[in-house]
Amino acid sequence: MYDVLIIGAGPAGLSAAIAAREWNLNVLVIDEFLKPGGRLLGQLHQEPDGKWWNGIEESKILLEKAKELNTDIRCGISAHTIEKTDHGFSVYTNEGILEAENLLIATGAAESPAPIPGWTLPGVMSIGAAQVMTNVHRVRVGKKGIVVGVNVLSVAIAREMQLAGIDLECMALPAINSATESHGSPKKVMKALLRIAHLAPSTAIRFGSRFMKGDGTKALAVKFFPKSGVKMWGMPIHLRKAVTRINGTNQVESVTICDITADGEIIPGSERNIEVDFVCIAGGLYPLAELAAVIGCPFQYIEELGGHVPVHNEQMETPLEGLFVAGNITGIESAKVARAQGTLAGLSIAKRKGQNLAKLENQIQQAKMNVRTIRENATIQFHPGIEKGRSRMEEAYYDIVHG
Amino acid sequence: MNSHRILDHPVLGKLTIEKEIPFTFDGKKYTGYEGDTIASALLAQGIRTLRVHEESGSPRGIYCNIGHCFECRVTVDGTPGIRACLTELNPDMIIESGKQQFSPFKSTENQDDLPRTYAEFEKQLKGEKEDEPDV
Amino acid sequence: MDRIVICRCEEVDLEEIEQTLINYQCSMREIKLRTRAGMGYCGGRTCRPALNAILEKVSGEKQPHQIPLKVQPPVRPVSLGRIGETNYE
Ligand SMILES: Cc1cc2nc3c(=O)[nH]c(=O)nc-3n(C[C@H](O)[C@H](O)[C@H](O)COP(=O)(O)OP(=O)(O)OC[C@H]3O[C@@H](n4cnc5c(N)ncnc54)[C@H](O)[C@@H]3O)c2cc1C
Ligand code: FES
Repeated sequence: MYDVLIIGAGPAGLSAAIAAREWNLNVLVIDEFLKPGGRLLGQLHQEPDGKWWNGIEESKILLEKAKELNTDIRCGISAHTIEKTDHGFSVYTNEGILEAENLLIATGAAESPAPIPGWTLPGVMSIGAAQVMTNVHRVRVGKKGIVVGVNVLSVAIAREMQLAGIDLECMALPAINSATESHGSPKKVMKALLRIAHLAPSTAIRFGSRFMKGDGTKALAVKFFPKSGVKMWGMPIHLRKAVTRINGTNQVESVTICDITADGEIIPGSERNIEVDFVCIAGGLYPLAELAAVIGCPFQYIEELGGHVPVHNEQMETPLEGLFVAGNITGIESAKVARAQGTLAGLSIAKRKGQNLAKLENQIQQAKMNVRTIRENATIQFHPGIEKGRSRMEEAYYDIVHG
Repeated sequence: MNSHRILDHPVLGKLTIEKEIPFTFDGKKYTGYEGDTIASALLAQGIRTLRVHEESGSPRGIYCNIGHCFECRVTVDGTPGIRACLTELNPDMIIESGKQQFSPFKSTENQDDLPRTYAEFEKQLKGEKEDEPDV
Repeated sequence: MDRIVICRCEEVDLEEIEQTLINYQCSMREIKLRTRAGMGYCGGRTCRPALNAILEKVSGEKQPHQIPLKVQPPVRPVSLGRIGETNYE
């Protein structure tokens, strides 16, 4: 019986483990990936001050800290389901059943698809898949490719692929259909990019600021959708072109690309084929909360947080006693926020064990402040209005628990 | 060969190769590197198709590369359903791609279409395969 | 029109899902039972956001707080031998 079992060894899970170990709790961390670090491992961005945010190095720092504290971290273990017991939780895994008094679900995010014809062909992969292949496994995903879907994540990863010497033809939108509407409409994509462009910090998204010159929606429509796209490090980003089809028999051979109107409608006769051998699909991220769902945690749909999120308060507690959440499962934000949330969750769990409460309470208050400050200063933001989303969640928690 | 490796990286530095790992995929011999997943070792060899859809036979490779989509499942040392993207490559692993399985329980539009004998069943299978396009 | 597969595991396409939604005016659960979308090996992890988007588009209703397509345990496929050890309903 562990004091706390942590599912997910990403930045949230690892920092929670560290905080809990510092309070001497009996901790087990499990993760289904072959090494700890979660999605932090693949990250590589340039910060506004020019320094690189190197996910592999950041993971190492967390891991070393956890090791110093003799934290038990086991990889290659998938959690299949969870049950509530009289004393806590049973977690069913491919390595048997694990029992713990408290449970922290820190399973991160998953990618939303942008389905277009031909997207099941080998050589088509999610943008995150390409990130992991490039930066973690150091394998080139192909000779020449195209990124379908323009958002903060895909722009950042396109840059990472360029750094690794991978040839990208361009970035363009997915053809619009009822499943891809929010990713396929130039107006909507533009709006989403504009709302984050004020950040324009990292080189990866600074291109957004080019759209900022001039004002008014008219200018937006005419001026900011140049037919030739805007260029980022020599690679065109097209908001007025859409990939309508991925072609190939046994694997990707080419894509069909068309000009589109500001609403995403295809302009007849503009169709042409581009030879590529890989395609990256970028439909954005959503919280991977399936384990919280199977155990009956209540949910809220909050667009600003990326979709359906398990109800929780600022201390990372859910309405289910002993169940905590941290990181991207609580809303899509950068790894720095996830890391700070993890620390807070670890401390909250220690508090539940009832140790040195005054000192702990102090640390918890500090950790809360820390989450807020890091959020405010975030250089990467996935959804506009994250703060609004967070306060809506706070209200929902209050309504469910006290209402 | 391993020509798809990113050996030099302006920020991440040089790729240090500790150890070569031999393995077989669909009966052919290959080598990967220590730390590879099955998926990364195969992609480094230019191999993209890891299975075909059990029913339709359409080819599939990695999609998410982090264990979510289950598109990369292969048979490893006789155990089916292993995610290539999450599984560390071990020396002498015998890996097989996922094959098409003819489902005897495929939904039928009409009761009269159902086979009455095994011979009829086989005949229908063949007929079906010729009719169905590859994608 | 080219075929747009939505659920990769069960190869269910957009047209089938849209038609079923229109013909039966149904919930996500019913879509799943009628078309098998989201019922495959991955448990709907890949297509769930797309299914929700289609439902939102066709029905014109915003997403509810309850997850439209119920998450079924186990969230990772388990071999039959293992199921005996556990208590999945
Ligand atoms: C593909 C992808 C790429 C991303 N790229 C960036 C980026 O470039 N920059 C950025 O700022 N943010 C990026 N993010 C956002 C990212 O989620 C956060 O930056 C941060 O990593 C979140 O930390 P976390 O600890 O919440 O989750 P994660 O880092 O995602 O860690 C969660 C861990 O839980 C494990 N897990 C999940 N389910 C189970 C289960 N059932 N059983 C066992 N283990 C499980 C996973 O294997 C994973 O290691 C990306 C997210 C994804 C999905
Ligand atoms: S590629 Fe998605 S599970 Fe392996």
